[in-house]
Amino acid sequence: MTDDSTSRRLTSARFSVSKGLVTMAVSTVVLVILGFAIAPSSVSQGAVLGMLPFASVLAIVGLGQMLVVQQGGIDLSVPGAVSLAVVLSTHIPNQNDAMLVPAILAVYAWAIGAGVLNGFMVGRLGLNPIIATLGTNALLFGAVLGISGGIPRTTTRLLSSIAGGRTMGIPNALLIALVVLLLVTILVKRTVAGRRFEAVGASPAAARATGLRYRTHRGAAYVWAQLLFATAGIMLAGITNQPTAFQGNTYLLTSVAVVVLGGTSLLGGRGYPVATVVAALFLSQLDQFVLALGVPFAVRTLVQAAALAIGVAIYTVDWAALRRRLVARSDAATATP
Amino acid sequence: MIRRRITTAIAVAGVSALALVGCSSGDGGGGEGGGGGDGGSVEGAPAWCGPEEAVVGLLDGFGGNSWRLVTTAAGQDEVEKCPSVVEYLYADGQGDTQKAISDIQGMVASGADAIVVFPDAGEAMLPALRSAYEAGVVTVPYRVDPGGEAGVDYDVWVGADFVADGVAWGEWIQENFPDGAKILFLSGPAGNSQGLDEREGFESVLTDPKYEFIGEQPYEVTNWDPALTQQVLTAAIAKYDQIDVIVSDFGPSLVGALPEFEKSGRSIPALATSDGNVLACFWQEKSPDNPDFKLTTVATGNDNVRLAVQHAVARATGGEIPEDTLFEAPQFEDSVDGDPSEVQCRDDLPGDIYLSAEMDADEQAALLE
Repeated sequence: MTDDSTSRRLTSARFSVSKGLVTMAVSTVVLVILGFAIAPSSVSQGAVLGMLPFASVLAIVGLGQMLVVQQGGIDLSVPGAVSLAVVLSTHIPNQNDAMLVPAILAVYAWAIGAGVLNGFMVGRLGLNPIIATLGTNALLFGAVLGISGGIPRTTTRLLSSIAGGRTMGIPNALLIALVVLLLVTILVKRTVAGRRFEAVGASPAAARATGLRYRTHRGAAYVWAQLLFATAGIMLAGITNQPTAFQGNTYLLTSVAVVVLGGTSLLGGRGYPVATVVAALFLSQLDQFVLALGVPFAVRTLVQAAALAIGVAIYTVDWAALRRRLVARSDAATATP
Repeated sequence: MIRRRITTAIAVAGVSALALVGCSSGDGGGGEGGGGGDGGSVEGAPAWCGPEEAVVGLLDGFGGNSWRLVTTAAGQDEVEKCPSVVEYLYADGQGDTQKAISDIQGMVASGADAIVVFPDAGEAMLPALRSAYEAGVVTVPYRVDPGGEAGVDYDVWVGADFVADGVAWGEWIQENFPDGAKILFLSGPAGNSQGLDEREGFESVLTDPKYEFIGEQPYEVTNWDPALTQQVLTAAIAKYDQIDVIVSDFGPSLVGALPEFEKSGRSIPALATSDGNVLACFWQEKSPDNPDFKLTTVATGNDNVRLAVQHAVARATGGEIPEDTLFEAPQFEDSVDGDPSEVQCRDDLPGDIYLSAEMDADEQAALLE
């Protein structure tokens, strides 16, 4: 199975940048057109401007997850990390703007701590990332409850005007997400360290043979991821004025979903930051679209699940091999009755 | 090796479970609190406080938000009014049904005479409640309906009258929108009985077809999550050019979402909901620029627990059992006629306190520190 997908990845490597991006871009455009046709309110200015901040948060969480996934790992501490960032950035200031900067520093300090812990467990000790990061998630939720007692606080005005505000009509959250996207893309695609990082993800064995510090790169991915989760959490605290202490819970599945929809293989390899961000936009707009259709809540959930399943199937099922196998089987059936 | 360890673990678990069961049935007889007394004989104490000594436990299914914190403190405050209660126990289920059930068993085992339970998990809690009741402990679930029957599965269920909340909102809408209105109703998770009861309440008042209910029926699902509320409301604002009234059973969760109206260049509409300091302060800040933003609230019901405690303590100590078994949240604020109260904002205190609660605002603020 591994061989299969590796060979597939290699054969399509030159084109797969476009595959994830094209699929997501086309899907998003189709969704917008569908919106104009059957649910016009989903593409109205107000709805789009309301959707974009949440899409931006999801995009940043997704970028963090992507960095880990492209190292063949997965970070399931997303809910704890985002919730903790939300709680720290609302509890420490307690509606006092002057305390916002120390709060944000604390958020990043925790993020680095959690990232180093994950990185050490997975990169150095070689623990299974699912188990290790789930453990960290529990630890982070312990911190969430310890700090907040589960009690939410109202966001400071400064934070809500930064994260929830607009500059020249564009939501600030979107601008932040674009800056983060630019940073991640440049760092991964245009710097030596970034190229090494990606090489390690594509083939740890080969990277090791060439003398790259593959364990450090694998471990470091978890630190970068936590930093991005923290950024997303701070933004989320600003966007929802009265966040709960468990605001990160919805990002567990969706963070992995946007990475997979963006075309990054769960087995590791190249990451596709732009496609990941477009996938975040797609999923958020899909939410908005289904909401605008006014279908019952149950159908809303089903549509999201179906979109995810179809998206994942597009990339993970090897359609060419499946066709070949079906053809071979029917040949075999005729040969030996 | 591993197998042996597992076997040992199972054996230990089994023995401790047996021990727990043993304790609970053993203690049961002692817990029989004889509710027949016409008590109130303790001097200086309320009538519901009888002379017999009792250990009273309060069990929360999920203690992790400020509303619960204030509610728990209110429960304790009420217990302390009765000197016959010699010991007060508290357990938090932390949103975990398993833990909530074992909390009940543990409290029965440790000799509680009466327990007051917030059965968040609904009917899933019924067997545990029944076993406590059968063990002779006075069992009073409150607020969330656990199903079952009073006198069979537990002593009495002290619910909140959400239909009455709905009726109060309906009457307010009728009064302020005599020519009809388009009404958007937001509630919690799909199928929650609180939302359905409230809906029944205001529908019973707003029978005229000039009152139109828009959005998903019977209510827009928000899971009481502020982020989801914001998304749902954004979609609704885009979809409906006219929203006259928003009805919501969790007012404070709307504070993040309501500015969406302003961002779309519309006035925040009238709001019929439950109270919260953050919401009141939000109204004071926004109402000058939003001419349509009228606000009415019912008390958010922190004091529901007080009535439940009275029932439990009365039965366990032989006091006078209160007549009411349903907590009817009083109306609290009305920005239009100031009856029963103007909108009350304490901007010097945290947003997460409830000025409608009997407990003093500063005391609540101290709890949150």
